[in-house]
Amino acid sequence: MTQAVLQVNHLNKLYGKHKETQYHALKDVSFEMKIGEFVGIMGPSGAGKTTLLNVISTLDQATDGSVKIAGTDITKMKQNQLADFRSQQLGFIFQDFNLLENLTVYENIALPLSLQGVAVKQIKPNVIKVAENLGIQDILPKYPVTISGGQKQRVAAARALVHEPALILADEPTGALDSKNARSLMETFVHMNENLGTSIMLVTHDPLSASYCQRILFIQDGQLYKEIHRNHTRSAFHQDILHVLSEFNTPSEW
Amino acid sequence: MLVKLSLTSMRKMFKDYLVLLFGLTISIAIFYMFQTLAQNKAFVEANAMISATMFVFHVGTFILGFITIFYIFYATSFIQTLRQKEMAMYMTLGAKKSKITQLMFMETLFIGLISLVIGIIIGMGLTTVIADVLMDMLDFSAEATGFKAIYASSIITTVIFYIILFLLTSMVNAWKIGRKKVLDLLQANKQEDFIKTSGVKTFFGVLFSIILIVIGYYTMIHMAKLQYIGVILATVTIVPGTYLIFISFLPFFVKKLKQNRVLNETGINSFTLGQLRFRMLNLTKVLGTVAMLIALGLGAMTAGFSFYHNVELQASKFQANDIAIYEPTKEDMKTLEAMELTEENTYRYKVIGNGVFFLKDSLLERPPLVPHTGDEKGVGMEKLADIKIKRVKEKLPAPVYTMDGTKGEELPDKWWNAISFELNADDNMFGERTIYVVDQSHYEKIDTEEKQVIVTKAADFSKHLSAFKQLEERQKRVAESYVGHPVDKTGGKYNNYVGLKSFSSGTVFMGIFLGIAFLMMMASVLMFKLLSSAGADIERYHMLRKIGVRKSLLQRSIYRELFLLFLFPAIIGLVHVLIGMQMFSFIMVEPYTKIWLPISLFVAIYGLYYVMTVQLYKRIVLPKQH
Ligand SMILES: Nc1ncnc2c1ncn2[C@@H]1O[C@H](COP(=O)(O)OP(=O)(O)OP(=O)(O)O)[C@@H](O)[C@H]1O
Ligand SMILES: [Mg+2]
Repeated sequence: MTQAVLQVNHLNKLYGKHKETQYHALKDVSFEMKIGEFVGIMGPSGAGKTTLLNVISTLDQATDGSVKIAGTDITKMKQNQLADFRSQQLGFIFQDFNLLENLTVYENIALPLSLQGVAVKQIKPNVIKVAENLGIQDILPKYPVTISGGQKQRVAAARALVHEPALILADEPTGALDSKNARSLMETFVHMNENLGTSIMLVTHDPLSASYCQRILFIQDGQLYKEIHRNHTRSAFHQDILHVLSEFNTPSEW
Repeated sequence: MLVKLSLTSMRKMFKDYLVLLFGLTISIAIFYMFQTLAQNKAFVEANAMISATMFVFHVGTFILGFITIFYIFYATSFIQTLRQKEMAMYMTLGAKKSKITQLMFMETLFIGLISLVIGIIIGMGLTTVIADVLMDMLDFSAEATGFKAIYASSIITTVIFYIILFLLTSMVNAWKIGRKKVLDLLQANKQEDFIKTSGVKTFFGVLFSIILIVIGYYTMIHMAKLQYIGVILATVTIVPGTYLIFISFLPFFVKKLKQNRVLNETGINSFTLGQLRFRMLNLTKVLGTVAMLIALGLGAMTAGFSFYHNVELQASKFQANDIAIYEPTKEDMKTLEAMELTEENTYRYKVIGNGVFFLKDSLLERPPLVPHTGDEKGVGMEKLADIKIKRVKEKLPAPVYTMDGTKGEELPDKWWNAISFELNADDNMFGERTIYVVDQSHYEKIDTEEKQVIVTKAADFSKHLSAFKQLEERQKRVAESYVGHPVDKTGGKYNNYVGLKSFSSGTVFMGIFLGIAFLMMMASVLMFKLLSSAGADIERYHMLRKIGVRKSLLQRSIYRELFLLFLFPAIIGLVHVLIGMQMFSFIMVEPYTKIWLPISLFVAIYGLYYVMTVQLYKRIVLPKQH
């Protein structure tokens, strides 16, 4: 039996204060993710995908229910513990890259290691290893402004990966990329997942990007709606995804 | 509709507008404060020790006006960076550009006018308080000198200057918004400040800046010899040298810090240094200006304080002894007993008809101390510090001496000095009488009562000012009994001290007053320049929080980064001042007396701005906690 990297139990999220009109963004969501799994989250706009990701990533607090990452319940942690947990156990990749443009590519990737107090001697080999894995070793001394969008996204991936987190969370990482760069990034994810055993959770609107995942969870109106597994080829999975999407009543919305 | 939107968002950003209002108010208050002096020609001319003071004030007004223009632009662009996205949003929603421009114009002008009113009121208050404190400290009365804290002509100048300035900035800001594309505004924070530094250029920059500064410092130290050429030489080397330091040396220094892997790759240092490096490249001119103005402001203040504290030292370089007491009474003796004296000599004399006869043997027994100038080659101006206090050495072989040598021998120089300035045997004391120094046999032939004069020096002159004042009062009466008519004052050290002090207190007052004004202005220029670029940092800090940096660590990074930015100009300004004080060594004995006083005042003002900047900056960039 493989261990779970993520266990979400009866998760609820309410927006708004008590007396005001509240919005129930997540309703009793429960699921599990195994170590080394590559899971996609899809659903119409406003379904609660970002909310789910924010709660899992400890950036937002759940109203009710529990989230366990690598066996630790994050819903009971304090601010500083959460910050430390994020820096050690999680890797983030966002739509808008979020690279620090006042640091070189090398420094951007090295930052999570420095923050954890990794010995300076060990930082460089780690950065170089992950950069080679993602094919960006040549641009390490450059500043983010001087590299392309696809390269930036790979730098972001390298930074999310360098400290070997238990779980990588990505919110629409291909959203700002053209289809060629999007495909290349998804291949990077697959590479990370297959060769390095990284667990990845990916939120996306794009069926083609989603087809790289092993499993897709569909969310609608804050609830888990459906779950499909990839059994055969990627193109077959792509068809399955498109099929599920057409079942939603308002496909035009997204 | 848009006006309503604008008002709502102004209310929402009330705190940020408060910051702007605060900044403008300070600037106006200080400008006003400066003008109360600069416009009051009568006061300045009556109280300045240096004749060119009015000219200095004109230059000062020009510099202050110049800084103020920059300042207002920084301050308003600070608020602009906060508003840009919102303005762009209105435009994408279809609001006309002209309407937005108009709105921006009105907003800036509105804030400007409010701050003008508050600023002038605060300026009057500040001027009154500072002037009162200083005048009290300096025994210097405002009414007598014609200084006014509420001065119509300064109000008018301030109002006109700022209204023109506000109109100008409102126009430029509106124009800047109007000129930009909507897309640029939406992505306002994404602009890159990427500058490359080439190795060779940096090397020569660093070398050149060091050479310039060294020449400048050398000139200032030898100012007494170089005089006018020195002033010019120091200006043309130190000013560009300072800017060069900030343009080439400091970025080079931070780059070197960054290249230290152990330092750079520990904790959040890479980010802090990265911020610093990019900041520095944007701020070179501002930091250079700040350093120069710290030097000017602190210099004016230090010189002021130093003048003040040097008055006593100066007085004791002109006179070795504190007082000569003729015909001491019991009361006088009691006063003297209460003091710790380092010198107490009693000389004997007789007064008869048209002559005053000092007994030579009593003088030679223990000759009085007199100031000895150092080398008497007379190159340039003499440093006061080179004057040594020594006992008169010359023997007096002749039987009879007079001051001018008409009846008997002429007194040697040092003895002449001793009799006229240490014993104060001059017109004020004895009127038209001839002063003789005679031997025992001549002295005995004079058939009149013998009298005594005590020449004495206290260990700490300034501790016994009131006692000396009383003693001098009594001497005045003694003098009157000799001269036969009322006497203004006698020539003792106390009287010289009071004279020197009132003579210099005008200059001191202006120096300190201006110094404080400049420093307050300076630090707030830096504050606004830093805050106006804070908008661009918001996302960086959000991102750092997302990847799990503790808030405390982010705060520490901010404290450090801003600390270094404040520190560099402060250090350079301070070194300029410390070296620059050497220029005054020809009129001051110890230019560095109590230098900690102006320096602590500076550190206090500057430190306050630093803390304020950090707080405001934190509020802008740090993510709010849920
Ligand atoms: N801070 C908030 N306060 C109140 N309601 C919120 C807040 N954030 C999100 N919501 C609401 O919660 C719901 C889910 O939002 P969420 O951002 O998770 O959607 P999403 O699935 O990520 O949508 P999209 O695909 O458009 O990004 C939405 O209806 C949104 O209006
Ligand atoms: Mg979303």
